[in-house]
Amino acid sequence: MSAPVPLRRATVDLAAYRANLESLIARLDPVEILAIVKADAYSHGADVLVPEAVAAGIRWFGTVELAPALRLRRLGLGDEASFFAWQLSPSDDLDAAVDLRVDLGVSTLEQLDAVAEAARSRGGVALVHLTIDTGLHREGCLPSDWPAFVARAVALRDEGVVRLRGIFSHVSETSEADDQAAARVFEKAVADAEALGAIVEKRHMSSSSAALEHPERRFDMVRMGSNGLGIPVTEGVTAADRGLRPVLTLSASVAKVKRVPAGTGVSYDYTFRAPAETTLALVPLGYADGVSRRAQGTVHVVVNGARRPIVGRVAMDQFLVDMGDDPVAVGDEVVLFGPGDQGELTIGEWADATGTIPEEVACRVGARVPRVYRGARS
Amino acid sequence: MTHDVTVTVDTAALRHNVEVLRRIVAPSAVMAVVKANAYGHGAVESARAFVEAGVDWLGVADLDEAITLRRAGVEAPVLAWLHAAGENFVEAAALDITPAVSSVDQLEAAVRAGVRAVHLAIDTGLSRNGAVEAEWPELFGRAAAHAATVPVEGLMTHVANASAEEDGLQMARFARASALLDELGVRPPLRHVAASAASLDYVGARASMVRFGLAAYGLSPWPDRSVADLGLRPAMTVTAPVTTVKRIPAGEGVSYGYLFRPERDTSIAIVPVGYADGIDRAASERASVTIGQRTYRVRGRIAMNALVIDVGDDPVEIGDEVVLFGDPALGRRSAADWAEAQGGITYEVVACLAAGLDRRYLP
Repeated sequence: MSAPVPLRRATVDLAAYRANLESLIARLDPVEILAIVKADAYSHGADVLVPEAVAAGIRWFGTVELAPALRLRRLGLGDEASFFAWQLSPSDDLDAAVDLRVDLGVSTLEQLDAVAEAARSRGGVALVHLTIDTGLHREGCLPSDWPAFVARAVALRDEGVVRLRGIFSHVSETSEADDQAAARVFEKAVADAEALGAIVEKRHMSSSSAALEHPERRFDMVRMGSNGLGIPVTEGVTAADRGLRPVLTLSASVAKVKRVPAGTGVSYDYTFRAPAETTLALVPLGYADGVSRRAQGTVHVVVNGARRPIVGRVAMDQFLVDMGDDPVAVGDEVVLFGPGDQGELTIGEWADATGTIPEEVACRVGARVPRVYRGARS
Repeated sequence: MTHDVTVTVDTAALRHNVEVLRRIVAPSAVMAVVKANAYGHGAVESARAFVEAGVDWLGVADLDEAITLRRAGVEAPVLAWLHAAGENFVEAAALDITPAVSSVDQLEAAVRAGVRAVHLAIDTGLSRNGAVEAEWPELFGRAAAHAATVPVEGLMTHVANASAEEDGLQMARFARASALLDELGVRPPLRHVAASAASLDYVGARASMVRFGLAAYGLSPWPDRSVADLGLRPAMTVTAPVTTVKRIPAGEGVSYGYLFRPERDTSIAIVPVGYADGIDRAASERASVTIGQRTYRVRGRIAMNALVIDVGDDPVEIGDEVVLFGDPALGRRSAADWAEAQGGITYEVVACLAAGLDRRYLP
C-alpha cells in the first residue's frame, strides 16, 4: 500500500509571501517596513518566514514579546536585520536583549531604568524605542508623563547606556477621527521629545492598512503584519484589490464517505438532519485544529471543485460536509480557505463568516496541523 | 508564544478524577481520552497521570497522537480511531498501537501490517467516523475471517447526545451489531459506547468500557451537573502576570475598537495573553478573571497577545498573578464560565489552548 495521504495540512506559500513584501516595499518606499512576526508569524512559522522576508528586502522585524526575538537572534536568523519587542514583562532577560542587540519598546521610567541597568552590567548599549500612549491605552507612556520620561531617556543616552532608536505608538483603528487624534498626539510627542534633545532614527505609529491608506501617518517606518501574509484587514478590501496573495491554505483529506437516508441526524445534538438522501464526507479537522464551531452553517469548503456546506456540529477533531449526490472518495482534498483559486473562501471571508478577524483564524490553526512550505527561495 | 502565560495542570486531580469515575462506572473498564493534546492539558504528562491512576486504556483521535505517546515511553494500551486515506498501519503495528477500523480497507491494511488487535468502529447514528449498518456484514465478515490472527478486541460507537430517545435508538443499533458479530462467532471483550456525557445517565451505554475525556480533566459535560457534585476537580489553571497598570480618565477608549469606554476614572491592567494563545476573541467584554479573590471583567477587544481588565480603584500591581480560569471551588472563574462568555462549549476552551504554552505539572 502506498504512503497515507496526510489527514490535514496548512500550506504556506513562501513565494507569495516574498512577492507581497516586495510589492509593499515598492509601494511604501522610502518608508521602512517592519514585518510583524509575532505569535510565530501568526502561526505560519517565524523560523521559516524571517529568512524569506530578509530575502525580499525586509530589515526590521517585530515580535511583540522579547523571548521570540531572542530566540530568532540565537538561531542566527535575520542577522542583518533589527528585531523589535515592545511588550516587556518583569521576568524578561534584558541582559540578553542588550547582548543580542534587540530593540526594546519602553513605556515607563522603571523599564527605562531596567534596560539602562542591563546595558551597564553588560557593558553594552540598550536599543530603545520610547512608547507613547496615543489613546489605545495598552502599552505606552501617557502624554502627561511624557516629558519626564523623555528627559530620563536623554540622560541615559548621554550616559552612553541607551541609544534612542525610535518613538512609537499603537493606534486603535476605531475611526478615522480617533486615529487622526492619535496622530496629533504622536506628532506632539515627537516634537516635545525633540525639544528635549531626543532625536530618534525611526518614528512609527501606523500598522498594516492604516499605513497603506494614510501616507501622512507613515513617518519613518510602518509595521506590516497581516498584509504581508496576504490578509488585508480593511473591511471591504480584498487581497487582490491590494495586489496581494493569501499565503496560507488550510486543507484536509476526506477520511470517510457515507451515503445516508433522508432524515439522518448529523453530529452532536442532531442540529442538522439530511432533508434527502445524501452523501456525507468526514473531514479530519475540528475546533482543536482551529476550525471554529461557528463555521457550521456559515461557510463553504471546496471539494473536487465544488462548494459544499459544513453540516452538523463541528467537533473537536472533525466535521462533516454534505456532498449531495456528487462523487467523493476517501482521500479527496477539502480546501477550507486559501487564495481562492479553486473557489474556496479567502481567510478574510472565512473570518467574516465565523464572526472574527483573519488574524485570529490564522493564529488558531493548531499544532496538529503540519505546516507545509512551498515556493522557498531556490 | 507568550512565555508568561502558564497552564498549570494538577496531576493529582487527573488521578483523582479517573479514580472517582472508575468507581461510578464499575465494573466497566475505563479509557482516558487524551486526544487534542489531552484537551489542552498536555498529552504525555496527562497520559502518564491517567496510567498511574490505573486507567485500562488511552484513547486518541489519530495515529500521530498515539505515536507521540509511545515515543515518550507511555506503554499502556492506546486506541486511535481517525485514520488517513491509505493508512498502512505499519508504524501502529511496530509501536503496538491498536487501531479502531471503520472500513474493510482499513481492516485489511491493519491485518497486513500485523497489528496486535483491532476494534471495530460503527456508526449508530452520529453519522461520523463509524461504519454504517449497510457496511457491517462485509466488515464484520472480514473481521471474523481474520480473527484468529488479529482478534477483534473491541466494538465501539459514539453517541450524539441528541435526546434520550435518539440515544436509545443508537443503543439498539449497537445491540444489533453485537448480535451480528456474535452470529459470526466474534465476541469482542471491550464494548464501548459512552463518553463522559452519556456515562452517567445511560447506564446501559456503559457497556464494558467507558471513554472519559472532559470529565477526567475535572470539567463537566453535563448541563445540569457540576463537577463538584460528583467529587471531580478541575485540573487546569491558566495564569498570566499583570505587565502594565494605568489610570484611564472617564470616557477614553481602551484597546482595539475602543469597545470599552469607562464611565468614570478607573485603572486598567494589561495581561499578556490573547487569541494567539487560544483565548477566543468572542469572549471580549464578557469574560472575567480573578486576582486573588477579586473578579475583574475583560474590557475592550482581546488582542493577539494581550487583553485588558478593568481593576477599578484596586491596588493591582505589575507582576500580580491573573487567573483566567481554574477551580471554581477556589474562587476562580471556571472553563465553563469562559465557554459561556465566548458562546461556546467547555471542551473548546481547554482544547484550543495553544500547544506552545508553558505547561507546568503539579505532582
